[in-house]
Amino acid sequence: MILTFTLAGIVLIGVLGFVGRRKPVADLAEWTVGGRRFGALTMWFLQAGEVFTTFTFLGMAGLAFSGGVAAMYALPYVPIAYVVLFFLAKRLWTLGKERGYLTQGDFLEDRYSSRALGTLSAVLGVVFVLPYLQLQITGLGLIVRLVTGDSASGTLSMVTGSVLVVAFVLWAGLRGVAATSYFKDGIMLVALVVLIIAVPTHFAGGIGGVFHKIEQLHPEKLIVHSGANDHVWFVTSMLVSAIGVGLMTLPHSWPALMSARDPKVLRRNYTWMPVYELSLLLPMIIGFAAIVVVPKGSDPNGVLLTLSKDALPGWVTGVVVVAATATAMVPAAGILIGISSLVARNIVRVRSGRKQFWINHGTVVLASTLALVLGIFRPDLLANLLLLTYSGSVQLAPANLLGFLRRVPVGKGPVFAGLIAGELVVIWLTFVDTHFAGTVNVGLIGLGVNVVVLGLAVVVDRFVVSASAKEAA
Amino acid sequence: MTGVRSYHWPPVLPVLALVLMPFLPFVNTTGLWLGLPRMMVWGAFWCLMFTPALLLSERLMRGREEEP
Repeated sequence: MILTFTLAGIVLIGVLGFVGRRKPVADLAEWTVGGRRFGALTMWFLQAGEVFTTFTFLGMAGLAFSGGVAAMYALPYVPIAYVVLFFLAKRLWTLGKERGYLTQGDFLEDRYSSRALGTLSAVLGVVFVLPYLQLQITGLGLIVRLVTGDSASGTLSMVTGSVLVVAFVLWAGLRGVAATSYFKDGIMLVALVVLIIAVPTHFAGGIGGVFHKIEQLHPEKLIVHSGANDHVWFVTSMLVSAIGVGLMTLPHSWPALMSARDPKVLRRNYTWMPVYELSLLLPMIIGFAAIVVVPKGSDPNGVLLTLSKDALPGWVTGVVVVAATATAMVPAAGILIGISSLVARNIVRVRSGRKQFWINHGTVVLASTLALVLGIFRPDLLANLLLLTYSGSVQLAPANLLGFLRRVPVGKGPVFAGLIAGELVVIWLTFVDTHFAGTVNVGLIGLGVNVVVLGLAVVVDRFVVSASAKEAA
Repeated sequence: MTGVRSYHWPPVLPVLALVLMPFLPFVNTTGLWLGLPRMMVWGAFWCLMFTPALLLSERLMRGREEEP
């Protein structure tokens, strides 16, 4: 019954995506940023859609189950990033509108007058975000497998979900993502509210009961202490994530921001979104409930659904599963738009607008097929690259920040040097010398090296320029 | 984008309160506030404070009749 309910939910999300647009468009700008006409409500759900993913739904509960209050690092970074974006919104939006940006690659290419920088940033964007797309698809399969106990059902859901996401993204573009975002956030909040009442009441007599039991039995879960998730890990992870989101280094955040009707819409949302962010606490509390119920060593990502199955009737668990699948499908659609627009605009360069449009649509099919096939047959292959999603993407932060200034103070050379040095350090510390960084987030170390190399390159650049000017004189 | 202006200051306190959260001995400790972990209550409170802080920033921006 749960499988039928879930498949019906997946189909419903697909249908809602199609409703986002009445007839297909052949213009990439209209498809990618919805003609830059989105108002406050649509923008609200689009931006929330980027934040509330399968990680929010299953991962937050899992993180609280395994690390206790260390999971709290994930609450403040988005609001902190929104503070940065609140002050940048007008500048970013105006630049985007005046210069016709659809992607991060467009922005860097234009600000530094460098096609190579546009292409490099786009390639890095695709490489770092493709694993994130796979995470959403495998997350969908995991959800169904966990509640049905049948891996074939998980694969069937992954295939059905991916095909429907591709279909509605091709048809409706960002408007499809917007249409499904309303449903996703609505059902997610309903599911979380049901869970937050039912699970603690069923297992510990209420939320207060859960935490009093934890205080008595597992007090170490109430503090950030030494170990893998210590103080340094907490602060550096929070900072890297906040810098990454606040300085727009994740490629899929660009189409959503560029689609706003005006910068006031963005500012209003950045002001009020931190209140909405508090809903992150709901899965976290479920994770704490799991500490007192679920045996230690269980799969952390499965605890929310395990408790849901134990505490709720089958059909209510079905609603929770549909909500969880929505948190996988809707962000996957947004990520696909981010990837395809980068490929069509900044990697495969064609002059004809029509050809660019078809390259974009071909990339949607290719990227989702790749993520699906690898998700089914080689789930670990891209999982390694996922380690680089935030720490690798954040290396674009200096280039973006300097590009936001009215007059870009550095040339493309120093930015290239810093970016490449930062990425090499992150790759080295992630895959080769994995103990060197200790609990410091490797993205932050890479960013430090990135900034130092950029600064040195600027000095060298100016020295060479002034020396050659003297020679010429 | 220009230098630091008065409207940049209101969100600074919530940002500091959240970044320093694990280093505050009265926050990062066992014991509960309102039946919840102290870190959770502290984090939620300061996240909520971003909204009035940014509303104040908006007001200061309008007061100066300029925007960054």
